[in-house]
Amino acid sequence: MGAFLIKDIMLLLRDRSELLILLAMPFLLIAILGFSLRGIFSGDLEALEMDIALVSEENEAQAVASIQNEIEEMGLPPEQAQALTQAAEAASPQTMLVSLFEDESLSELITIERMDRQQAQQSLDEETVDAVITLPEGFTQKSLKNMLFGSKEGSELELLAADLSSPQTDVLDSILNEFVRTVNFEASISRLSGQDSAVEVSGGIETITAREPITSFQYYTIGMAVMFVLFVGSTIAGQANLEQKQMVFDRIRLSNRSPLLYLSSKAIAASAIVTVQLALLFILSALLFQTFAADSWAFWSGIAIISITLAFSVGCLAALMVAITLRLESDAVPAIFSGGVISLMAFVGGSFMPLDGMPEMLRAIGNWTPNGAALSAYFSWLLEPDLGQLTEPLMRIGIVAVVFLLLALALFPRKGGAA
Amino acid sequence: MLETDKLTKQFKDVIAVDDVSLVLMRGESVGLLGPNGAGKSTAIAMISTLMKPSSGDVRLNGKSVLKKPDDMRRVLGVVPQKIALYEELSAYENLKFFGRLYGLSGNKLEQRIEYVLELVGLADRKKELVKNYSGGMQRRVNLAAAMMHEPEVLIMDEPTVGIDPQSRNHLLETIRKLNRDEGMTVLYTSHYMEEVEKLCDRVYIMDHGKVIAEGTKEELKAILSDQETVLIEFDQNYPELFIKLSEIEGVQHSTIEEQSLKLIIPRGTRMLAALFHEAERYGAQVINVNVQTPTLEDVFLRLTGRKLRD
Repeated sequence: MGAFLIKDIMLLLRDRSELLILLAMPFLLIAILGFSLRGIFSGDLEALEMDIALVSEENEAQAVASIQNEIEEMGLPPEQAQALTQAAEAASPQTMLVSLFEDESLSELITIERMDRQQAQQSLDEETVDAVITLPEGFTQKSLKNMLFGSKEGSELELLAADLSSPQTDVLDSILNEFVRTVNFEASISRLSGQDSAVEVSGGIETITAREPITSFQYYTIGMAVMFVLFVGSTIAGQANLEQKQMVFDRIRLSNRSPLLYLSSKAIAASAIVTVQLALLFILSALLFQTFAADSWAFWSGIAIISITLAFSVGCLAALMVAITLRLESDAVPAIFSGGVISLMAFVGGSFMPLDGMPEMLRAIGNWTPNGAALSAYFSWLLEPDLGQLTEPLMRIGIVAVVFLLLALALFPRKGGAA
Repeated sequence: MLETDKLTKQFKDVIAVDDVSLVLMRGESVGLLGPNGAGKSTAIAMISTLMKPSSGDVRLNGKSVLKKPDDMRRVLGVVPQKIALYEELSAYENLKFFGRLYGLSGNKLEQRIEYVLELVGLADRKKELVKNYSGGMQRRVNLAAAMMHEPEVLIMDEPTVGIDPQSRNHLLETIRKLNRDEGMTVLYTSHYMEEVEKLCDRVYIMDHGKVIAEGTKEELKAILSDQETVLIEFDQNYPELFIKLSEIEGVQHSTIEEQSLKLIIPRGTRMLAALFHEAERYGAQVINVNVQTPTLEDVFLRLTGRKLRD
């Protein structure tokens, strides 16, 4: 096994074009994408600053009072009636929304100003505001009824943006969606438990901004790293094809070494190369671009766990590609893989851009690619270094690796005999 | 020591090797002679246990090796027609890798590498990458790699294709030394008649997948014992004259080579008078007339009607 490993690594080290693809190219792309697209990532707040007009077409106090009257007329036991009355006041969605934007972490990013509809429209036209949020008449009443009594009639927020495709609009849209989702969720809890939900609601909203956001350099260091490790698979399969063409593979067979030893050595060589490749990319990116501020052993241990799992998976993928290449006696597999499949996998895995706006099915496929699963594991670890959060993506990488390995074993031409 | 029994390989409708039976005695040097496409490489691949025959058997010391090729592989050194080496590694690194595959390590591995490099005359250039070697040097390392595990039988598939005369001579001398001085059994395939004549004790001649003749060089040449080869050299090419001469009574085969004409005729045939008469009629000048003993090339021509390198 050692002989195979040393040979494979020596061959790679002497192949400058492969080294360029595996190390220099991703690093170059990290630099280019990191610098040029830093504006669209939430870590670069300046580019996302925005002014918003808030138009309220209702009297909030009146709406709350109206709900409180309804509660009194329902003839509920006094304790329950009092709890609901208090909840109506505390959970008023308009107040909650304004509090959210005035929160310390969001107020640096978003400036909110109350206006009437006409004034807001004019400001939007003149581009003195980036977006207008309108709370239509009956918004508070419908929301509270929905929250407190489970009324089926929902309420709607209206968002008007100067540029629908801008990153700012995306961010604002996500904030509002998260707000609505959190309010609905907390309301459900509140109805089930009969408790005041105000504290929980604001806690839920805080999750939008509680984490350190991912910067463009972090995004593309990870995105390019998980993409370019896939090239190791085609490199190793290409080597196997050359060995077969030049009859070196026959020499190896004549040495009476088990063909499976050859296959496993290819998988291990690929895993080892990927591990080194990831380590170099992360360390260089951290040193040159200050990509990862975290310098704790715990942080890097998590990164190492994900990297080793990904390396194992790419090793199994390389074994599968070697098996198919030797079976077909053709270099088509590594060529097609490096020429197109890797780009597709990188796209659905989210290496080029976040997949939030993509169809659910595409995201599901991406989550089952080794690179896509590793990408979400790395991001999850960056946002919240919690091993529990890694279980699911790492499981997915592991399952895919086992599938690759089983397929490799099934397809590998076992020419151990006289065949 | 090594024998094949009615070895056959069929690829769809094409029979590449047809009922080939060969025998190699210990210490013998046997040639497998035939033109390109005769089925030599396919036969070699089956004997080397790298390809499964459609039918027939390969036996080592009387035991079939088809199901259990390990024993065969242990005693076999195979020099393929291609340069089966890693071009990006040096000769030393290649030999070290292949040596380790055969379980060699430490001093034994280093000593063996030194020995085979000395054998092929590349000890002083062992650190250079194989891709920087000449074709001849690459072929020498190709041989060295097959020698790493001290094989008893060396099977060589056209080992001198495309190399310079100096490297070719070096390689042939090395093989002769291995066979005569170290008693190594050699199966040498080639379409170069002179190589096989120089190296081999016995020869199998293959054409269209079949063995069409076998025996010692003398036995094969005896096929032509009742014939002789007349080589006539002219001052220039005379196509019509050459055709006329080929039609003289008694001429069994004729080959035209630029200004020369080679005729195979029954021994004792009196044809010189007719030859000079025809030459005079065509105004041709005869430079040289040489009556030769037959070569394996002549034997092949007689058996197949074609030249080895057609």
